[in-house]
Amino acid sequence: MRRVAVIGVGVTKFGRHDRTSAELFAEAAADALADAGLPATAVQALYYGNVVGSETEKQLHTSPQAASVLGLPAVPTTRFETACASSHAAFRHAVMEVGSGVSDVVLVGGAERVLNVTTEESTEYFAYASDARWEQTLGLTFPGVFALVARAHMTKHGTTEAQMAAVAVKNHKHGTLNPKAQFQKEITIEQVLKSAMVADPLKLYDCCPFTDGGAAVVIASEEVAKAAARRPIWVLASAAASDWMLIGDKRDLSRVPATERAAAAAYRQAGLGPQDVNVVELHDCFTIAEIVATEGLGLFEAGTGGVAAEKGWTSLGGKIPVNPSGGLKAKGHPIGATGAAQIAEVVTQLRHDAGPRQVDGARVGLTHTLGGNTATVLVSLFGRD
Amino acid sequence: MLTQKEFFEKAGAGELQAVRCSRCGALAIPPRAFCPECSERAWQPAPLSGDGTITSYTVIRVAPRGFAGEVPYAIAAVHMKEGVSLLGRVVDIPFDKLKVGLAVRFRPLTRNGQTAVGFGPR
Repeated sequence: MRRVAVIGVGVTKFGRHDRTSAELFAEAAADALADAGLPATAVQALYYGNVVGSETEKQLHTSPQAASVLGLPAVPTTRFETACASSHAAFRHAVMEVGSGVSDVVLVGGAERVLNVTTEESTEYFAYASDARWEQTLGLTFPGVFALVARAHMTKHGTTEAQMAAVAVKNHKHGTLNPKAQFQKEITIEQVLKSAMVADPLKLYDCCPFTDGGAAVVIASEEVAKAAARRPIWVLASAAASDWMLIGDKRDLSRVPATERAAAAAYRQAGLGPQDVNVVELHDCFTIAEIVATEGLGLFEAGTGGVAAEKGWTSLGGKIPVNPSGGLKAKGHPIGATGAAQIAEVVTQLRHDAGPRQVDGARVGLTHTLGGNTATVLVSLFGRD
Repeated sequence: MLTQKEFFEKAGAGELQAVRCSRCGALAIPPRAFCPECSERAWQPAPLSGDGTITSYTVIRVAPRGFAGEVPYAIAAVHMKEGVSLLGRVVDIPFDKLKVGLAVRFRPLTRNGQTAVGFGPR
């Protein structure tokens, strides 16, 4: 495999938009190409993530649509759908296309539009990522899935609701430093604990919001990257793993085995370990998801992720800053765009370009994106020379 | 090979049906093509007793469209006596009595003419 670098990034404001997901992607992609200093004609392929477009926008065939709206009607495109991990899955495959020598410049990204439908509708559409016959028929929701994880983690390790709340408080604080974030206000532990119950023990402020938005990154071969406008940020690893689809088949709900497998593969590819990572953007769709991910990525011992959050070890300025962007919790979670947006943040951090939320001296960064009911996880590692 | 349709027809009649690998003895529910333990394709029917214990649970307060009129409702992961686990609705157990380790018994539920997995008190 050839070395591959990220040479351009672009992210829309996250929140509510009156534009289609294709339009949101086009804005992010144009920004990413401008950042890379490349003309649109340099793009040789588009790898695209979009999840519920067929429901919220009555739109299939979203990858050529996105390319058309961007003004690149002729490039080969592929849409990836692995629930919330879609554009990270797209990224991994794009890295293989450039790494293998098929293309030199590939555009990767995703977009989602969900705030044009009601919460009941979007809750239903997100639940489509659980098994239709075995789980959707029970009225299982995504907060419900992670509530089961939370209860199992609390039972096994003594994790507390206050520790989960500490994740929300931290990510909201980080979000105030990110002008693209959906939420830019601090919250308190008490506000989280007193917010409305969504799926016991998860409360409203344990949950990320529904979000419209787009994100894009430009990846390139070493030869192109070395001549690029910006410092290349190298892709050190990009790995994927899966787990059983049904909750009933997951033998220990306090763990996410797909995270552990993808992380092991990524560390092996890069020849690095968790102790080498300086900044992390991980999938905090719910506060418990961040706690379990910090354990699965090897940043903390199993069962101690809650303590780490409570002690501030994952805050900016802490031992290992997690989600300096505000994470899904405060930055927002436009599901098809999330993986690419996490990569854009880590690239910005490794360029030392993140302003008030910069992790001092960051040289190695990690992104972790989880799909749906914990059946898909992607982990990538990035470094600056 | 037991199909999904056949599983739910049996479940609706009160019979919880797993499959057992006749090579290595691994138990699976629902059925799958290959045994995840030994990769064999030699399944035999294996009826379950219906008895299990809760390993995790939640009470859904914000529901998908189509379930909004049913909130709040409880869902639990249940470890069956024979060693496999199933997700199901919990019925006839007050929410404040739900706990990890609680003994429950399978009970078929019917919703919109479809059978769903449910659990009630033992």
